[in-house]
Parts: sequence; C-alpha cells; structure tokens
Amino acid sequence: MRDVSFSIERGDFFGLLGPNGAGKTTLLKVLTGQIRATSGEAEVLGLPVAQQPLEVRSRAGIVPEQSTPPSFLTPREVLELVVAVRGCEVDVEWWLEFFEFEEAEGRICRTLSRGQRQKVMLAAAFIAQPEVLFLDEPFINLDPLVQAKVRDWLGEYVAGGGTVFLNTHMLENAERLCNRAAIIHRGRIRSLIELEQLRSQGTTLEALFHEMVA
Amino acid sequence: MNRLLLWRMLQEEVRLNSSFASRRGFWLFPLLVVGAGLLATALAAELTAGIPYREVLLGLHFSFLFYGLFTGGLAFFGSDFLERIFGHYALVTSLPETQPLSYQRVMGIYFCKELLFYALFTFAPLTLGVLLGTSWSFIVPGRMLRLMASLLPSFCAGLAGAFLVASLYRRSLYAAVAGGGTLLLVLGALLAGDGLPQLAWYLDGSPPLPLGWGLALLPALAAALLVGEFHEQALPPVQGYREQYRETLASSEWSRRWAVPAVVAKERLDLQRSRTGIKMVFSFAVPLMMLVFVNWFLDRGLPLEVEFNTIFWGVMVGFFGTMLYSWLNTMDDSSFYATLPLQVPDLVRARLVLFGTVTWWIPVLFMGLIALLSRELRLLPLAIFVMAAVGLYIVSYTAWITGLRTNSSLYDASIFARFFLVSVPPMVLLAILSMALEQALPVVMVALSFTCLVLLLATQLFYGRIEHRWAGEEFD
Repeated sequence: MRDVSFSIERGDFFGLLGPNGAGKTTLLKVLTGQIRATSGEAEVLGLPVAQQPLEVRSRAGIVPEQSTPPSFLTPREVLELVVAVRGCEVDVEWWLEFFEFEEAEGRICRTLSRGQRQKVMLAAAFIAQPEVLFLDEPFINLDPLVQAKVRDWLGEYVAGGGTVFLNTHMLENAERLCNRAAIIHRGRIRSLIELEQLRSQGTTLEALFHEMVA
Repeated sequence: MNRLLLWRMLQEEVRLNSSFASRRGFWLFPLLVVGAGLLATALAAELTAGIPYREVLLGLHFSFLFYGLFTGGLAFFGSDFLERIFGHYALVTSLPETQPLSYQRVMGIYFCKELLFYALFTFAPLTLGVLLGTSWSFIVPGRMLRLMASLLPSFCAGLAGAFLVASLYRRSLYAAVAGGGTLLLVLGALLAGDGLPQLAWYLDGSPPLPLGWGLALLPALAAALLVGEFHEQALPPVQGYREQYRETLASSEWSRRWAVPAVVAKERLDLQRSRTGIKMVFSFAVPLMMLVFVNWFLDRGLPLEVEFNTIFWGVMVGFFGTMLYSWLNTMDDSSFYATLPLQVPDLVRARLVLFGTVTWWIPVLFMGLIALLSRELRLLPLAIFVMAAVGLYIVSYTAWITGLRTNSSLYDASIFARFFLVSVPPMVLLAILSMALEQALPVVMVALSFTCLVLLLATQLFYGRIEHRWAGEEFD
C-alpha cells in the first residue's frame, strides 16, 4: 500500500471499498494491530496501533475476513470466552437468541455451517459493545434475513455513538449503511466519498466504483 | 493427467514446507543431511567397531523402515494438522471432493509424490554426503551406492505401511489394527527367514532388487485400492454440556499467576474434545519403541552389555515432552485470538500451563510402566524428578524459540541446529550419569541433582524470555 491517508470521525459508518486484492484486508489488519506497517503511522481512538495494539483491541470489535471461531467450542462457549477475556458483564443469552443459536446448542463450531460460524464471529465482535467495529466482509455467507437483522443492529449501534469501519466489495450494503466511504485500488486510496453528497449529485456508489476501478 | 497431478503435488509440498520455515532454512536442510551422511561415513569404522557387519546393515534397514513409517504418519496426520493450525487448507488431495477424480487415484499419486519428495530431499543429499565421506573412510564408493540403493526400498516399505494403516483407518479402527498387525507379522516372518530381499541383494546379489521393491510397494497398492470414500456425519454430535466452559474457567482460576485463565480453560476444552491426548500417547509410544529397539540392537551387537535404567528412560521421556508441547500447538487454528486483546505470549504461556498440569500424566504413566517392567520402582521418584527437570527445560526452550509453530519451525535448519545444540549436551550428560549410577551412587546422585538444578534455572531463563521474543508476533 502507498499514499494511504484518511481519518474517520466517531459515529461514522465508514466503508472501504475495492476489488479483490486491492489492499482492504491488509489495511484493516494494520488498523487492528494484526500486522505492522513497514512505514507510516496509524491511530485508532487516539492510540498508536503499532505501539499499543492490545489497548486498541480491548476497545475494538473485530471480524476478520475468512476467520473462523474456535473449532472445539460451542457458540455459547465462544461468547463466554470473549466475555471472560474482555472482563465485561453482558448477557450472553441475548446474543445467542439474536443470532438464533438455540438449535446449535451443544454443537462445536467445527460442525457448524459457514453462515453459522460467521454469525458466531459477529456475535463475538458485537457482544462487548466496543467503541469501534472493524468488519471485513461481514455479510458473506449470511442469509438475507440475518443480513437485514445485522444491518439494523449496526444502524442502532452507530446511532448510539459507535463507529464502524466496513471492508466490503458488496456495494449495495455499503450504499445502504455508510455515510462516508473510500475506494481503494492497487494499494492506493482513489477516492474519499461523502455518500449524501454523492446522492445529491445524482450518481451512485456503483457508478463511481466502476469509474475508479475500471 | 497423472504426471500433471504428481508435479502439482510436488510443487505444493515444496511451497508448503518452505512456508513453514524460512526459504533459506528449508533449502539448508538438504545441506544438513549431506553433512550428516559425510560424518557418518567418515566415522563408520569407529561407530560400528565390534558390531557384526550383518547386524549393522539390519540396523540401518530398520532405521530407514522407521523413518518411512514416521514420514508416512506425518502424511496421515498432515491434512488434520493443516486444517487445525491454518484453518481450511485446500490441497491437491482434496480434489476428489469437487472434481471427477477417484480417491484411489489421488492416493496412489500422493504416495508417489511422497516417495519422490523424500528421495530427492533426503536420500539424494544423504547419498552425496556418504559418497563424499568415503574419501575419509575405508569404504569403496561403489559399495556405498549399492547400499543406498538397497535402503530406499526399506524406506519405501515403511512409507507404504503407514499409508496402508491410514487407508484402513478411514474405514474403521479395527481394520487399521488388523492391517498393522498383518504388516508386523510379515516383517517378523521376513526377519525370521532370510531377512529383507533388498538386504540379501546388497550382500549376495540375489534375489534381484526389484523383488524388494515389489514387496515394499505392495502395501501402497493395497492402500490406494482400499481407501474409502469420505463422508461427513449427517448429524453432528452434541459435545460437552451447557455449563462446561464456565466450570472449566472456574477451575482454571489458580493459573492466573502464569497465564490468562480464560485462555487456559479454552485450551483445556480443545485438548479434551480434539482427542489430542490419544495422539500424544501414540507419539510417545513410537519413539520409545525405537529406543527399545536400539537397546536390543546394542545388546545383540556390542560385546559389552549396556543396561538402560529407569533414570535413563526418565531423561528420554522428559526430552519427548517437546512432542507434547508440539501437539498442544496443533489442536486448533489460533487466529481467533487476534480479535481479542491478547498476544502470542498469552497463548504460549497457557499451553505451557497445560503441559505442566494437564498432560503430565502421559510421561508419568510411561515412567511408571518402565520402572515396573524394569523392576526398578525404587528409582522411580528420582527418575520422575529427572524427567520433570528435563521436560521443563526442553519444553520452555522449545516454546521460546518456536512459539506457536513448533513443527514448522523445526523444519528450519538454523532453528533445528540451535535446538540440537541446547538439547543434546545435557541429555548426553544425564544419560552418562544414569549409566554410572550403580558404580558410584553418592557421586552420581549429587551430579544428577546439580545438573537438574542447572536445567531448572535455565528453564526460568527461557520462560522469562518468551514475552520479549513473541510479544509483537501475529497469531496467524
């Protein structure tokens, strides 16, 4: 990645859009302290990520791309693990009901479908009510009903003061959810967008995306 | 098509192995083998002095047979390892799931790939080293070439045997046990008769070498023909119970001084549900069997009687603690931890806690059995102390230099060399002391205690460095 510079305000629903291999996941990993940038600086919630990755992760919820929950724990146990590590007091039952895990009770994540495993990852990121959420393609493998439910919850979360950093190439979801976005292509930020401004110009995110990437 | 698949599998193997270690480390490995072959040949006269020639050859063939079994075993557990450590890993062997290819065909080609890979990456450099070593030895190069040609079918037989057991295991545990038993009987019959055909070919030129190859390849052919189709369970079983994690967490609270109890609890459930404990027991049994064989070989071959007492076995069993730690690192993909406010040292420490508390019964069980069979129960407490000191020393060092990637890191020749230098000298010293126990009991007891104390101090040093070494590392 080169010349990547942007900032996100608290309460933003920010979408990072780009084709496959554009650098979206790498950027998210840098911002969550999973990999170190070779140069430059990244700050999250005012904290330097490279120096204080643990502090950043303790205040952020993360759903990495293609990551799976622990193979040998049940969804309930994964959430209990997250609660124990983060030291927060939340109602695990509420999240199990929200994602409809009743039928998966007693089944370890290894035996769940991809969609169910993605729901566990989302619940594990949401449960501690973090200040910021980093979501990498969170809607992949989710059925339309769950997608709608997650979209609604994220809307409420942002309305309540939360911040979302969403990596996606599903432009429809980004258009519906984000108030700001950036298009990344071949490791460079090509455009920073205010979604309302874009709408007032009578164009769509999809049209702009095609223009920037094609 | 077969040739293309074989080529792709070979490429995959090289890329996979070089991704485990650094590329430099991977390519250094054959160099290490050349050096080992050179040294072994140059020192052949000293190493085999007093042992009948035929016994030396038999020992070599057995060693290569075990090596084949070991590498075949790695292939058997390989896909399981990769899936657990790295998440879903698509390999060429999984092609029958999506393409019109039979498992029989893919398994047959996979066997050829294994044989070719090890022939190129270990046999070829070993042969080169051995040939170079003849310059400092009494052995004629042509004779050594012939020996290496006869050893390859023995390696192949071990590899094929492991494949057959693996193939039968896909059908049922009973079939695998029956297959393994039959192989042992055949091997026993061969040894009781004229010995291995390839060994006879090397010595007398008859029977012809292809007969040895034929016998070695038969189990591989059977493995490919008998491999069953794989089906996932239609109804996944319910595991554990609703309160299990919370109860495990509550009972792990004591570990707070060394690790994060929530992580220790998760790892404990992984250990239990992944059935890694069973694999640990087997991985202990195989090298111990190898040692028993070496003991038998030395007893038969050497004019002087070498008796391995329970203290000696304590040293060995302690050393094999590395395998327990290595197994703990293969239970599950650890990338999920990257989403939590945790760092790699938190997980390393949790696994060390598990090694010291939950898996301790495996080495102790083996020590109890050894002491009982050797009728040396009086030595058991001291042997357990030695075993614990060696185990803690070697495992804390392994954790320090390999972190969460023990298996793959040891593929790196530079890490392997460091591991060798740190582990072997104290093992040799303790082994020598154990053998001198009956000659000078008080002196040896003091020396043993002192050495163990030094090892425990070194353990503290290694443990303290884990944080610094792994704090900035990624989980995946």
